[in-house]
Amino acid sequence: MSAKKSWFYAFTAPVVVALFCVVILPLLYGLYFSFTDWDGVTVNAFVGIQNYFDVFKDEGFRSALWFTTKFSVVAIILINVIGLGLALLVTQKFKGSNFLRTIFFMPNLIGGLILGFIWQFVFTKAFASIGSALGIESLQIWLSTTQTGFWALVIVMCWQMSGYIMIIYISYLQSVDESLLEAASLDGATSWQKFWRVKFPMIMPGFTVSLFMTLSNCFKLYDQNLSLTAGGPYNSTQMVAMNIFNTAFAQNKMGYAQAKAIIFFVIIAVISLTQVYLTKKREIEV
Amino acid sequence: MKKSWKRVGLGLLTAGIALSLVACGGGNDKKESKGDEVTVDIFQFKVEFNEQFKAVAKQYEELNPGIKINISTVGGGDDYGAALKTKFASGEEPDIFNIGGPEDLTTWEKSLADVSDTQAAENALEGTTNAVTRDDKILGLPYNMEGYGLLYNKKVFEDAGIKVEDIVTQEDLRKATETIDSKKEELGLEAVFALPAKETWITGLHASNTFIAPEFDNDVNKTYESKALDFTYNKEFKEYIDLMQEYSVQPTNSLDYSKQMEELFSNGLIAMTQQGNWVYGTIEEIDPEFAENNVGILPIPVDGVAENKIPVGVPNYWAVNNNSDDKDQQAAKDFLDWLYTSEEGKKVVLEEFKFIPAYSGFDTEKIVDPLSKQVYEYSNAGDATGWVFMGYPTDWGMNVLGAGIQKYVSGEGSWEELMDDVKTSWEDSRK
Repeated sequence: MSAKKSWFYAFTAPVVVALFCVVILPLLYGLYFSFTDWDGVTVNAFVGIQNYFDVFKDEGFRSALWFTTKFSVVAIILINVIGLGLALLVTQKFKGSNFLRTIFFMPNLIGGLILGFIWQFVFTKAFASIGSALGIESLQIWLSTTQTGFWALVIVMCWQMSGYIMIIYISYLQSVDESLLEAASLDGATSWQKFWRVKFPMIMPGFTVSLFMTLSNCFKLYDQNLSLTAGGPYNSTQMVAMNIFNTAFAQNKMGYAQAKAIIFFVIIAVISLTQVYLTKKREIEV
Repeated sequence: MKKSWKRVGLGLLTAGIALSLVACGGGNDKKESKGDEVTVDIFQFKVEFNEQFKAVAKQYEELNPGIKINISTVGGGDDYGAALKTKFASGEEPDIFNIGGPEDLTTWEKSLADVSDTQAAENALEGTTNAVTRDDKILGLPYNMEGYGLLYNKKVFEDAGIKVEDIVTQEDLRKATETIDSKKEELGLEAVFALPAKETWITGLHASNTFIAPEFDNDVNKTYESKALDFTYNKEFKEYIDLMQEYSVQPTNSLDYSKQMEELFSNGLIAMTQQGNWVYGTIEEIDPEFAENNVGILPIPVDGVAENKIPVGVPNYWAVNNNSDDKDQQAAKDFLDWLYTSEEGKKVVLEEFKFIPAYSGFDTEKIVDPLSKQVYEYSNAGDATGWVFMGYPTDWGMNVLGAGIQKYVSGEGSWEELMDDVKTSWEDSRK
């Protein structure tokens, strides 16, 4: 028993230490900085919770938070629907389904920044060319208005993440016991019923994982935001992560930005923990 | 047996902790220089001349045995600032780094050495060190000079029958624009202007500077110290933005630098756009002949202010780190002195870096590109106004004014709202 324990410590120690060094320590350090007026070079004064008060009065932060929330809700739903749809498609037995899996997953292998720049080209050049050829006004203004900026972000995010989420759903779909499906067939269930009554409850754990991943990824999005719209026009497509970065590095208010980051952290933590708790409850044991 | 396993486990645990603590704490001690060798670490941001700069450093090392010059470069505005802070925070402080103006003086107060004892500081042209002078100490040495205005396509102007000399007032500019616009088809233009509203530095810093500078007598320090902004010439500024917006390639809010310069201007698809002499390289890459013969610079007219002047300023300064060893500081100063005052150095600055020198004693006949030459001529003739945007509140120019202009040109907000916003925001950050 005790040898087992030693092994336990031996193997977990590196992880615990690493985690402590790169996550816990910076978090505590950051918490300290959020109470100061740190400008990145020197701490001049300890300002207490003034920074936190200021955050709630900060219109830029509020609109960034609202924009991020809207974006996340739309993107999470679409990514999961598309991801599940693709997973159902490629788990059908037909020629080329493996090939399609690779194709769908591929966008995920491209880094967010590059992806953003590629799509920026698509939106501002390709869309505009099609628009001017067909005389469609609305295709020529992509990325220059808040609306198009919003949908551009959603499209790129879905394009990138759906394949990844698809992989998760595939693994759960494949672990659904064939005998259950056979039994359902014998009982005369249609394929629609088989999906909703048998498959869907069985892949609930996958749903928990996917929802959690899309949620945290969408909320924390920075790179696509930067390369696609950079917050423009007039900072109306600026997400929280970018707002925090700009506060810290463009406005030199490191302490204030840190306070924003702590608040952001709390918000994400609360939302994702609630989500995990709620979806876990719906999972069924086999 | 059991016990020994336990020991191994605990041993590994402690070793792990110790190792990671060492790893965390490492990197603080600065490399000791061997013997007489002095290493000057330079951390700079101008990516465009990185190669030439490294070459000149090598040349200096050969001339001065025992001195080693170490150059690292991180480009871009915000990125450089962030990277520099990281450098200082990690304890790897460079001996020479870049600062932009009064704001940076405050940020880096404790790390800036007085460089007024250098030859370069003495040779610096009148007024070029104002922005980095505090309490009679000169804390930075100018890189070079740059100037901007409305770049125009000479051929288009000629074909349209417009003489640049005739454009003195904003009214003239509008008339010229209308004339060109009416002949747009024949001239092969897509539009008269390109207003890159996406690039908030072009609208929020450069364009606004022309209309804000007169209010502060072209003095960056006065701007930096001002608690409030009247924006006396905001009507003129509005007219300037309106004119460009009306006759620009649309949509302006997604029009960026690369589209403005590479796609539109260099291909002769627009007649005018606001830019500076630094774009010469970009135009040259696309069409060397066009760059050589076809680009002129036209002062941005501001009614009610002295006419036919262009804003010329120093975009960046070299600062010497006050916290470095005296030996390193001296070596750093010597290098900068050599770069801007020795014959070899001056040659490189002029011909390789293609700088407009901010120092006396240069053979300015040798300024290579026509744009820089024009800027230099304006400056030399006393027809230069200042760059005061370095004295704007942090991030105000780009993020408040520049972003506000995006909102204005997209029709989401009125000019009055914009003016109220920018004034309040200026006052708030200067409390």
